[in-house]
Amino acid sequence: MIKVLKSGVQLTIQDFGRVGLRHLGVSKAGSLDPYAQTIANRLLNNNDNEAVLEITLGLCDLLFNCDTVISLYGADFKATLDGKPIYPGWTYAIKNKQILSFATGRAGLRAYLAVKGGIKSTELMGSRSTDLNACFGGLHGRALAMGDEIPITPYQQEFIKVGAMSLPQRKLIRLHPSPHVHLLGELLLNTFASTVFKISTNSNRMGVRLENNKNSLVHSHSLPSLGVSPGSIQLPPNGVPIVLLNDGQTTGGYPLLGTVIEADLHQFAQFRPLDTVEFEYVTFEQAAKAKQKIDGHLHQLSIALKNNLYK
Amino acid sequence: MKPTPHIYALTNSSLLLDASHLDAKDRLSIQKKIWALTSHCKSTDEFNDLVPGMNSLTLYLKSDKHLNKWVQALPTLWNDIKSSTFKGQHHLIKTTYKGEDINYVANYHNLSADEVISIHSKTKYHVLFLGFQPGFAYLHGLDQKLHTPRRDEPRIQVPKGSVAIGAAQTGIYPADTPGGWHIIGHTDISLFDASQKQPCLIQPGDTLEFVPIAVAGATHD
Repeated sequence: MIKVLKSGVQLTIQDFGRVGLRHLGVSKAGSLDPYAQTIANRLLNNNDNEAVLEITLGLCDLLFNCDTVISLYGADFKATLDGKPIYPGWTYAIKNKQILSFATGRAGLRAYLAVKGGIKSTELMGSRSTDLNACFGGLHGRALAMGDEIPITPYQQEFIKVGAMSLPQRKLIRLHPSPHVHLLGELLLNTFASTVFKISTNSNRMGVRLENNKNSLVHSHSLPSLGVSPGSIQLPPNGVPIVLLNDGQTTGGYPLLGTVIEADLHQFAQFRPLDTVEFEYVTFEQAAKAKQKIDGHLHQLSIALKNNLYK
Repeated sequence: MKPTPHIYALTNSSLLLDASHLDAKDRLSIQKKIWALTSHCKSTDEFNDLVPGMNSLTLYLKSDKHLNKWVQALPTLWNDIKSSTFKGQHHLIKTTYKGEDINYVANYHNLSADEVISIHSKTKYHVLFLGFQPGFAYLHGLDQKLHTPRRDEPRIQVPKGSVAIGAAQTGIYPADTPGGWHIIGHTDISLFDASQKQPCLIQPGDTLEFVPIAVAGATHD
């Protein structure tokens, strides 16, 4: 069991989220950076979908009430284990009663903490992810708070320390084309693709708002509601685009500027308010290639880990 | 030439079938075809999610290998599919019509509260699609006599089970949530329960009607 001594900005239990329930209005939830979750789990020889902790901006303290092994991945929040620094991308043995503390960092917004065997909170509708809007999943259907006890399985066997490199960060996000070209017009879409946006402070796990100084994206169109998903970029009439993320709702009536390609969506887990971001439209072939590149990276990691862990 | 829906590949593994331009005056007939198409696609087991919107369907494929096949197939399927091939379940929603705003709605339309109840409960509503929050059904069929502009100031908390009217729509709140609709009644029926394997009572394409009941325990007016 892990006891939360201090929860920080937003500390949640997440896995890959819920699939197959969008027609009922149930959002995906799940790790905003699924690749970070995957790598953190693979470092421990866990299944990719084991539940992990998603740590927003650090500032949390966790007390382990059993032995285990952990891995850290994602943003560097200057973590310490009983005062001794530990680093993202590595595994660490934990002894009963040790305290893991996160300060905060200069870059990135979210870190992922995996434990050997995964977090064992109750599974609901095929997932342990916390749905913060509908208030179910995770522990008590909410972000973790001081005093919460996170169930894990003790692990006392030996392990070999391993590490993994970070995936590259991007500021130029690749997009699939808009289905609403005729409604919005080529001019507006070109303007969108040539604008440098700032990440709004009014962003969260539901969506990231994109601020710009121009008002050239303002419009007066509305649409009958249609299905939307993480990666859909909505354009409300006020001209401030919203990149929907995992907690976003399942249907919406704003025109779409396009959809972030699968290989780039995880970048939004790490953008901070005031970071800048730009967009470029790509072909389906380019999107597929970008996905293959990440899959290849993950595959190589698995091979390297197998060679290290079982030689 | 028969009017056809627009088909867009949204990503390498998702598609949008947009039929919202076909007949804006008869949304229900179009939506019945959407439900029939959804049901057909579901039977192929090639999709993770099939999400009806208003006269549209977003299809999320399990594998991007099948994208082109479905881009090709959907227009023909749309023309061939019969809306009668799909039949939803019918639900009776027992409702106590004692909502905070029922008198406001009645006064707004120059009706008595009883007339509001009678008009609201005599209609068979169709569940067009769900969204906004888990289990929230967008219903078709609210009598024009009850169309009421939303509240100027949304309530910070509309209680779970509230039956409400907002503009041309009526609906039931599956959970406590902020909301700007007028509350006319309340039901104890659970629309969404995350702990159940089938978490939602109501599915797209179902029908429902509201059945007025007296307040539990009340013996007379």
